Amino acid sequence: MADEHSLGELLREQGISRRGFLKFCGAMASLMALPSSMVPAIAAALEKAQRPSVIWLSFQECTGCTESLTRSHSPTLESLILNAISLDYHHTLQAASGEAAEAAREAAMKQFFGKYLLVVDGSIPTKDGGVYSTIAGISNLDMLHEAAKGAAAIVAVGTCAAFGGLPHASPNPTGAVAVSDIIKDKPIINVSGCPPIPVVITGVLAHYLTFGTIPELDDLGRPKSFYGESIHDRCYRRPFYDQGKFAKTFDDEGARNGWCLFELGCKGPTTFNACATTKWNQGTSFPIESGHGCLGCSEPDFWDAGSFYQALSTPITPVGRAAAVAAAAGIVGGAAIAMHNRHTKAAAKTAHQTVTIDDLEKPSGEAK
Amino acid sequence: MSASLERGLNAFREVMDAPIASFFNSCVHCGLCADACLFHTETGDPKYTPIHKLEPLRKLWKREYTVLGKLASLVGLGETVSDVELEEWSPLVYDSCTLCGRCTLVCPVGNDITYMIRKMREGMAAAGHAPAGLVEASRRTIELGSPMGIKLKAFMAQVHGQEEETGIEIPVDKAGTDYLVIMSSMEILGYPEYLGSLARIFRQAGISWTVSSEAFEATNSGIQIGVSDIARQIVSRVVDAAEQLGVKYVISPECGHAFSALRWEGPNLIGRPYKFEVVHVLELLDQLRKDGRLKTEGKTDKALTLHDPCQIVRRGGIVAEPRNLVNMVASDFREMEDPGMYNWCCGGGGGVSAITGAEELRFKVFRIKKRQIEGTGAGTMVTACANCRNVLEEGLEHYKMDTRMIGITELVAEHLKQEDAS
Repeated sequence: MADEHSLGELLREQGISRRGFLKFCGAMASLMALPSSMVPAIAAALEKAQRPSVIWLSFQECTGCTESLTRSHSPTLESLILNAISLDYHHTLQAASGEAAEAAREAAMKQFFGKYLLVVDGSIPTKDGGVYSTIAGISNLDMLHEAAKGAAAIVAVGTCAAFGGLPHASPNPTGAVAVSDIIKDKPIINVSGCPPIPVVITGVLAHYLTFGTIPELDDLGRPKSFYGESIHDRCYRRPFYDQGKFAKTFDDEGARNGWCLFELGCKGPTTFNACATTKWNQGTSFPIESGHGCLGCSEPDFWDAGSFYQALSTPITPVGRAAAVAAAAGIVGGAAIAMHNRHTKAAAKTAHQTVTIDDLEKPSGEAK
Repeated sequence: MSASLERGLNAFREVMDAPIASFFNSCVHCGLCADACLFHTETGDPKYTPIHKLEPLRKLWKREYTVLGKLASLVGLGETVSDVELEEWSPLVYDSCTLCGRCTLVCPVGNDITYMIRKMREGMAAAGHAPAGLVEASRRTIELGSPMGIKLKAFMAQVHGQEEETGIEIPVDKAGTDYLVIMSSMEILGYPEYLGSLARIFRQAGISWTVSSEAFEATNSGIQIGVSDIARQIVSRVVDAAEQLGVKYVISPECGHAFSALRWEGPNLIGRPYKFEVVHVLELLDQLRKDGRLKTEGKTDKALTLHDPCQIVRRGGIVAEPRNLVNMVASDFREMEDPGMYNWCCGGGGGVSAITGAEELRFKVFRIKKRQIEGTGAGTMVTACANCRNVLEEGLEHYKMDTRMIGITELVAEHLKQEDAS
């Protein structure tokens, strides 16, 4: 249950140094693209923040989101942030089970009505009255409706909760939908990914604790600070794309040289997430760094977007002539701009006069 | 021919490559690089924010390489770069940047700001805005053979001196050996015992080596001032001599930027791979240690701390080696705060130590190093770069600190096993 201890006090009790705490705040500031002058503000707010009650509902899901959160960073500050919020209900992590667990959920919903943060992972089946997934005899649909009533805000963690995800994939036998398809009267933050990056989940919680508001969201309801840029734009293999160097198979010379995986189906260019910058497993690497293209897991309907190994430029359904002409025109236009830039640089190269030791000073008396 | 704004701007266009264009495009103006730069942390002046030091280059990129910038310049709008502006920026691009690479390390979007400053200096130098100290150092390197004006005779005098000191013959221009040893000016002039130490270690390990009368000096002021044409000429001396002697390895001295010049920039400057490998002396010594060919005895119980030279550690990746070597001969080794990749620069790298006008600022920013050293309580500081060592000694002198300095190679040689050493 939520208690009176502030987050700062709790962290110190758990042996987290002030320095470690500030490092975390600094990392959070940079992740959220806030100026470094905001670090003290974040620190001050987190220090004083009282543990808000959090109810975590797991619906039609695989527990991958919870695994991501608990395993990969334990026991760093990120996982302690979770200790430091009052996680009043989470059926994977809580010790209680059966009626005691449900009683805890109901008690928290009552005591903190209007104030608790509701976290949802998994999609919600709606077909046949929602019978395809139930907890303690209550359908996911009913439980979401009930829990959402008293929530201050809802965080939809994972692509299933955010966009329907895997259960929603064609032919969608259970009629699975996203949280936002059902709840219309509460602020919803979509933290997509299959699973989402742990630090992104905690980053959103830290933002909420710091400012008491939800962060700026993109058109799909995702925090812009984490989902503002494409994997491709931040990919360390991007220079190879720019030079037109592509791996054609997974074991050719290009693959061994670490060239761009675009032609092997990498969805980096259309996928918005922070993998290429924050990376996974405590910043160790991310899929492209391990030699596999991005699957696009943080985007809606990624499962139905054609083969994972089909290049983005190949259409998944037949396209009309107009589209082909437009694509061709786009390529020509892009090439023209690139040509022009290359020309500017080439002209500069041609104009290069060897700089000798006597060329480092201006002739005396020359007007500045 | 001589320097002009036109030549400077042309050099800006020449260095504009895909990484620089995407770096400018990527900057989110978060300001984290400011807090990573010792010139900013020690002065508090926002003009020392690393990315701001690139403003003229950014303006040119925007005007000539972006669609909006091109459109704006077509209708006579947008900012242009003037000679006055370049002159104003000279202290930012040279005096207050040691190319230490700390800003690059913290940039959340991965912009290599250090790389950009290095490239920007090409244009600054071609426009005639390189500081006089660096111009003179480059002139001495080209005309006399070394930035400090050391000629072959002076080097040979030190070689003979060390032969006498150690009783070991130092091979000169011996073809077909495995290793070619080169020194930095600072070592030849101030720390010749480096050569004697190597002679003793190599005798123990049974290494075949030589020095060269053609290439005895590894520093490269062309890289510091930012003139690739000059840098190429300087690095070619080493490449030509090494390939003529037919050595398998060239050993970069305890000097940070000499290592960068030989190992990373060299092949790009001459446009082909070397016929030999470049190893840093620390890499070699640590390898000998692993192979059991470097045998020491006893450990000093004096408290030691270690200064990480930026070009060797942060930009060069040689982090564990110096620690292995120090721990081999010292029982009370104390890391400073922010050791290894995040260590703070001595304040004199990237050519700054050669700029007379930058001296006052250099002492000011030395305060961070002072705090680091004092925090360890150690009386002796070890390092692996002769330029760092000289700059640090000046800083220690300025602040009247009684910390003693020693190079790692020397420290290791002091503990060589007696029956094998002289």
